[in-house]
Amino acid sequence: MKPFDSFDALLAHCEKENCTISQAAFAVEKAQSGREQSEIEANLDALMAQMRQTIESGIASDEKSMSGLSGGDAKKIMAFLNMDQCFLPPVTMRMIAYGLATLEENSRMKKIVACPTAGGSGSVPALLIALEHEHKTNPDKSKFGLATAGIIGQIVAQRMHLSGAAAGCQAEVGVASGMAAAAAVETLGGAPQQVLEAAAISMQNLMGLVCDPVAGLVEVPCVVRNGISGVQAGVAATMAMAGVNSFIPLDEVVDAMAEVGRMMNPRLKESAEGGLAQTPTAVEFTNKFFK
Amino acid sequence: MSGSLFDIIGPIMIGPSSSHTAGAVRLGNLVRQIAQNPVQEAKFILYNSFAKTYQGHGTDRGLLAGLLGLTVHDDQIRDAFELARKAGFTYKFSPFDGPNAYSPNTVKFQLVLHNVKKGEPGSNKENPFTIVGHSIGGGRVYLSKINDYNVSLKGESPTLLLFYTDQPGMIWQVTKIIASYNINIASLQCTREQRGGTACMTILLDELLPEAGVKEVQQIPGMTHTLNMDKLPE
Repeated sequence: MKPFDSFDALLAHCEKENCTISQAAFAVEKAQSGREQSEIEANLDALMAQMRQTIESGIASDEKSMSGLSGGDAKKIMAFLNMDQCFLPPVTMRMIAYGLATLEENSRMKKIVACPTAGGSGSVPALLIALEHEHKTNPDKSKFGLATAGIIGQIVAQRMHLSGAAAGCQAEVGVASGMAAAAAVETLGGAPQQVLEAAAISMQNLMGLVCDPVAGLVEVPCVVRNGISGVQAGVAATMAMAGVNSFIPLDEVVDAMAEVGRMMNPRLKESAEGGLAQTPTAVEFTNKFFK
Repeated sequence: MSGSLFDIIGPIMIGPSSSHTAGAVRLGNLVRQIAQNPVQEAKFILYNSFAKTYQGHGTDRGLLAGLLGLTVHDDQIRDAFELARKAGFTYKFSPFDGPNAYSPNTVKFQLVLHNVKKGEPGSNKENPFTIVGHSIGGGRVYLSKINDYNVSLKGESPTLLLFYTDQPGMIWQVTKIIASYNINIASLQCTREQRGGTACMTILLDELLPEAGVKEVQQIPGMTHTLNMDKLPE
């Protein structure tokens, strides 16, 4: 069995075999790697375990990054969760905190799981692990969400390089939010079609997002974007499960995103020469930082 | 093309950037395997996004860590400058400022190596061992050039890289040896400078060829250089 080159082909396979997206992902992985189902599951469990560990240390930490630009915001969100002013439900608050926590640990040069990249590593764990904690999804089943996220990313990666330098932030946080939305729908038992709708909706919303990191660091705006992208993925997953249709099929959304990436000015692709990276505040910081 | 879920989910890595930190470590890991001899001096010419943002992303630390043999999730990546000094090699990072045809995250390694004969690449600064590598996102990388030869090496599976004089029967002789070890070939690519000139064969294997097999390959008349590389560690 060869990897799917389109979401259309993936969906056709699921319909023909009457299987879920994660079952299709396992079938491809087994064929490609020659490994047993149990080995692949153990590998995914190990990655989930690292994601939980990263979040656990991240939400407890006040430590700043080496640049001092980030660190400590995840902890603030967890504290705000208990305040009267907090109007978002706990599951949403945790999605914010967990996304922030993952990126803050990343900026501290601590251990994270790239998903699909380090700069986009917050969305998938934020959503899956917030669901474990506040929606009582079974942690043993989260790996099926993770496998779903993986196969979404695999198919996208055949059409565009998943790096801010190649196609902007849409290729990192944008794709991650699509992967996370798909993972949530799979974990909550949605149909394959809904899994793909969720990814399409989430990616539509971040289409065109530029990569404009202050001083070239994976901190501003990467950290806050990861605090929001998991929530956004949760919204997209909810919309898809409620029956909202993305109108543009996922394959076409991805092709459009790749095309937007090609059209994007190189100054907006991670080189820190445009967008937020060239604001007066960012320039002042950058000059001090590299002195 | 992505062959595995784990190209997308993972690696477990030290931050902050999969392309600039983990990718840099992996490029260093590949180069370490190819250079074979210990590094004495390393110069890194950085292009495009690598040139502009290498310090903030720990690309410099990652490249050194990779050359020292650390993996992408090693906590010591942070201390790579000190580790390089302890290992006794000097290093220099040179951002290239100007138009070029390289992909966004490219580095050219120019290495002076121990135990290299005079006149061979890597023997001194004027004749360095030169490798061009690219980081293409999510920690995935490939090498496009080793000294004068164009290659395409990703480190995603065990690889046998052979340089030889272009002549009939080379593929047959090499694959016969690989078959005798009951190892499956996933892909095989040959390129050559010109008919009868230096040729390069890149063979992706499902398992690493044992040392004895490599020795047999080296014995084939016309074979000038062999490299037997394992896939990059997780």
